[in-house]
Amino acid sequence: MVAVTGLPLREAGVLKGHEGAVLAVRFNGDGNYCLSCGKDRTLRLWNPHRGIHIKTYKSHGREVRDVHVTPDNAKLVSCGGDRQIFYWDVSTGRVIRKFRGHDSEVNSVKFNEYASVVVSAGYDQSVRAWDCRSHSTEPIQIIDTFQDSVMSVCLTKSEIIAGSVDGTVRTFDIRIGRELVDDLKQPVNCVSLSNDTNCILASCLDSTLRLLDRSSGELLQEYKGHTCKSFKMDCCLTNSDAHVTSGSEDGFIYFWDLVDASVVSKFRAHASVVTSVSYHPKDSCMITSSVDGTVRVWKE
Amino acid sequence: MDGDEEDHVFYGTPIEREEDTSTRKRKAAADAGQLRSLPVWKQEVRDEEGRRRFHGAFTGGFSAGYYNTVGSKEGWTPQTFTSSRKSRAEFKQQSIYQFLDDDEIKDMGGHALETSTQFDTFGFTAAEYARKQAEKEQEKRPSAIPGPAPDDIVLPATDSIGMKLLQKMGWRRGHSIRETKADSLYDARREARKALIAFSSAAGEPDLAQIESSLSGNDELIERSNDGIYSSGSTPVYVLNPKQDVFGLGYDPFKHATEFRDRKELHEARRKDQDNRKGFPMRKNLFASNSGKYAPGFGIGALEELDVEDEDIYASGAALGYALEETEVEEKEPAKVTQNNNKLEYRKQGVISGFKVASNPDYNVERFHPPVIPQNFEPVHKFSSPPEPASKFAEALPQEVPPPEDSNLKLLIDGLATLVARCGKLFEDLSKEKNKSNPLFSFITGGNGHSYYLRKLWEEKQKHGDQQKQMDTKSMPSVPKLTAESRGRILGERPLEKSAESSSSVVPKEIIHLQSNLSDTFTKPASLQQAQPSESEKPFKSDPAKQKRFELFLKDKYQGGLRSTHSSGTDGMSETDRARERLDFEAAAEAIEKGKRNKQTNNQSVEQFLELARSGDLHFIPSLGTEKDQSSHDEEKTKIYPKREEFQWRPSPILCKRFDIIDPFMGKPPPLPRARSRMETLIFTTDSAKSVQPAKTEAAERDALRISQPKILEETKLNAEEADNELNLANVERPVDLYKAIFSDDSDDEGDFASPNNVDDQEKKAEGANMTLNRLVAGDFLESLGKELGLGVPSDTNDGPYKANLETGGDGNNNISSKNERSGLEHQSSNMLWENKEPAVSKSSSLEIVMGNVSSGAQHDMIDKRAFPLEGDVLGNTDSRRSNRSISSSGRTIYSDHQEGEDPSEEKDHRSNRHKIRSQHRRRSRSSDSDSSSDSRQRVHSRSKSDKRSSGGESRKHSKHHKHKRRRSRSRYSNHDDDRDRKDDHRRKDKRHRDGASDATYSKHDDYRKYR
Repeated sequence: MVAVTGLPLREAGVLKGHEGAVLAVRFNGDGNYCLSCGKDRTLRLWNPHRGIHIKTYKSHGREVRDVHVTPDNAKLVSCGGDRQIFYWDVSTGRVIRKFRGHDSEVNSVKFNEYASVVVSAGYDQSVRAWDCRSHSTEPIQIIDTFQDSVMSVCLTKSEIIAGSVDGTVRTFDIRIGRELVDDLKQPVNCVSLSNDTNCILASCLDSTLRLLDRSSGELLQEYKGHTCKSFKMDCCLTNSDAHVTSGSEDGFIYFWDLVDASVVSKFRAHASVVTSVSYHPKDSCMITSSVDGTVRVWKE
Repeated sequence: MDGDEEDHVFYGTPIEREEDTSTRKRKAAADAGQLRSLPVWKQEVRDEEGRRRFHGAFTGGFSAGYYNTVGSKEGWTPQTFTSSRKSRAEFKQQSIYQFLDDDEIKDMGGHALETSTQFDTFGFTAAEYARKQAEKEQEKRPSAIPGPAPDDIVLPATDSIGMKLLQKMGWRRGHSIRETKADSLYDARREARKALIAFSSAAGEPDLAQIESSLSGNDELIERSNDGIYSSGSTPVYVLNPKQDVFGLGYDPFKHATEFRDRKELHEARRKDQDNRKGFPMRKNLFASNSGKYAPGFGIGALEELDVEDEDIYASGAALGYALEETEVEEKEPAKVTQNNNKLEYRKQGVISGFKVASNPDYNVERFHPPVIPQNFEPVHKFSSPPEPASKFAEALPQEVPPPEDSNLKLLIDGLATLVARCGKLFEDLSKEKNKSNPLFSFITGGNGHSYYLRKLWEEKQKHGDQQKQMDTKSMPSVPKLTAESRGRILGERPLEKSAESSSSVVPKEIIHLQSNLSDTFTKPASLQQAQPSESEKPFKSDPAKQKRFELFLKDKYQGGLRSTHSSGTDGMSETDRARERLDFEAAAEAIEKGKRNKQTNNQSVEQFLELARSGDLHFIPSLGTEKDQSSHDEEKTKIYPKREEFQWRPSPILCKRFDIIDPFMGKPPPLPRARSRMETLIFTTDSAKSVQPAKTEAAERDALRISQPKILEETKLNAEEADNELNLANVERPVDLYKAIFSDDSDDEGDFASPNNVDDQEKKAEGANMTLNRLVAGDFLESLGKELGLGVPSDTNDGPYKANLETGGDGNNNISSKNERSGLEHQSSNMLWENKEPAVSKSSSLEIVMGNVSSGAQHDMIDKRAFPLEGDVLGNTDSRRSNRSISSSGRTIYSDHQEGEDPSEEKDHRSNRHKIRSQHRRRSRSSDSDSSSDSRQRVHSRSKSDKRSSGGESRKHSKHHKHKRRRSRSRYSNHDDDRDRKDDHRRKDKRHRDGASDATYSKHDDYRKYR
């Protein structure tokens, strides 16, 4: 293992407040704030750089599994075990709308580029798109070609990319009207896009991260070493796309070199499973959340 | 009257006669005085006509505005408003009149509000005005002092009232208010100056007038300063020559040396003259205005022509104060500068007046001399390789020398020469250095055998050069010579060649199939191809003729080109035999293809299959998937996956709108129901007996689809051809017909194709929607059957296995008629009808009917082909099969599985029963999914507190786990059957692994199991 500069290896702060496991933590668009959600049915807004807890959003009836914020920081969307998607106003902390329709737990939720559509992925094998502009709470699109629970969804300007336990990463290209199915043969836990949006990083349940080329569907690289067998754990690329990072079920955080897939760094970050990692969009800064109930901020 | 007025002179203002003013006005005037004395509440407001403006409600309200309105004569439209439609945004200047009432304007008496200079006591207004004027002027002409002129300089042009008074009192401009005393010094100087003027004019100065004026200006200046009228600050001075030098105000450099002034003037005049001659209008403008006042000694060296006179002036060392110092610096310059006068000239132009160019600037451009070009430099580049031989030959050719007697020495020399030739002169030097003392190496420096060495070296060099040349020539030309053919080969195109072999077939047939053939000209790129099948790829070794045919087939399949039809009718094979063989070939080719993909050629599986194929019982493709997956699953997992598939997907219009993307399906008809849904309906609604049918026919359908490929079509007889044509027609028309058939009256139906449906309709009308769906689905299978029949076996040559096939087809029909009465009846009755109608074509009638029915099956094809036309084209033959599979796999139906085809029939029954039951269960479980899950979730939450491992991930874990199970149940219907065992294992492991942690999702999981 070579000492690498530029990786957030130093713990810069701990955000404590959640009671019970923190299931996801996400930076906002500019990386100044972060949102966490967890088993205590709350969403929390933090300033991770100063370690300040700003606001708590309570309305969910069950655990909150994912959260996403609009680029203008005005609205939140969250989802969880109560089969609903909550559309929040950030400043007032009120729920603007609830989208009901998923037959089961909702695993992942994302805004599109213009924050006009919320796309959610659920345990009911479907990906649903919801309209934020109209007052309708009916989904405007249901994608149900998945054969198993959809674990993660991410969006580009014109595509919906979702990873499912059926071992596929499906890309729905709205512009062309085409569905691309990349069958990885391993349950996909999390999909994340590279910053140049040319690659998909898919975390599979065989303790492997797989980097796919989006245009060709080719497997570019596999990253191994961590443990990911039964938890939904996030993975992401660093802001420079130079490294791949993911948590591990033993509380470690791993950094791999993007190209040669060597473990560049690994260290114990949490007492328990690292459920989520989120990388700052610009700086070398990362936040991680864990089942141990903490969110930790890592800096260079 | 006029005459009177002319005669008389009037003084004073005439008294108006009482009659002239209106009585009313008079009254108003009288009232005004009167009213003012009244208390406020008794006063009345009247207009100019004396009318009361405000009334009580009963006396008409108030009278204001235009007839008591806010409008005007022009209407209510404001005066300033203009419609921008015709005249666009015209700027209208507002005047004060727009804000005044009529009576106010009248009061003003027609005079506009103005500022007047009348009472401008101190001349401020005038000064303001003058300043503005001066600024305006300044913009027009350049000045030494940038920016607005200071107040001190700009003096009011008009006289203030005080000045006027003074003037009236006898004061004159330029005089002190105090009594002026004659200054003897001043007078003397004045005299001297006059003399000087006279002198200079005598010298024949051309621009005399100019000097005069400037001189007089100077005079005035001096005069003023001498007169001491500083006390009267407001003394207006007509600024004839604005101050344009950079001296302090009132500073006169020539105060005590007036002679230099003349010198300067003279010089300037000359220079101006030169400028004129040179025709530098711009420069003249720049300097001419300055010239009048330009101070000598100030940057003169840089700015002006370096004349002899200039040098003289400075050489004289006139007492010019600081100017002298400046000149001293510049004095040295001329000598230095003269050589590159041009440059200086250039620089001069860029210098702001009043500044001079520094003699040695801080910023020095470092100049580099151009590199010295060697004498023998040739400006043309020569490439090393071609001229090499020439240079070689240019070398002095050493003479042929007999080798030295000492064989050792000879060997040494040879070796060294080779090395030197290869590695260059450096090596020689090195060895020379190293072996200086060694007598054995003396040949290098000219000892024994030197000449031989030289010769050898030359030879070696020659040889080496030749080799290199060869290499160069070898590598070079192959790269750029990319002909159309080679490019095509790289791209996988194949030139269209006339299929001369197809003499047996009729010409129009060719034309019909040209398109499909064209699509076949695109094949896999050459890079992917393997020229010859390896040993392992010869599955039919036992039968060389068959192997040959197989290779031919492969060639056709992968290399494309127009399909050669020579295989037809060459060896007396029956159509059915050929068709069967073809299926074998297809399967074998696929096996080989897959084997190739797995780098480790698992010949085993191929062989395995081929054995099966050779046994002859199997005419349908055995499921390669299972066998191979079992044998090489691990490799496949890593090598083949990720696998990419493409489907059509229809985003909803609103989604497109929200994503700001144009709907790719805009204007296209709503999507046809996916095959899946239809299949599911079948599975769910038919009872057990019926579901046998799909299981049976599935393989048949697949084959039928394969057979429908162009090549086979070509081989079939004309009947089949017609059928194909009609199939195409049906393809186009079918979607409408189908729905019509279901939902509309028979009166809507028309044409030949509709007629069988007609009958259907009549029968069907009574039935419910469910039955129609059934029929629809059953119809699909019938179609596929019929397709097989029609395409594979023309009606006159149904012999051998195909007859059996036909019979099984018939069986299928019977089956259907018994199990699914609707469809069977329909089929048969339509068949009959058709025959009644057109007995002449009875040969192909059944065929045609089924063709008609095929349409919906073919429709699937169409959809998929539309979705990926290119791929379909490229893959040619395999396309329809693939697309078919893709539909079914996406539909999670029994269709997709290859295994089904090879299953023994009794098991088939059994399995399909299972299918049905399972599907029912599945449906139930799906419908009850939410209930059970909600139940379980209830439990989760009751438990979650106590559950020590109750984490989100945990629940996720179980759900995933559970998912596996669901997936497994599903996978029975999907392609992944082979995964089943593995997955079961996995599940078991998982379960074991997690037995300790009981979670609610687990119970949910159990629910599922119960249902299953």
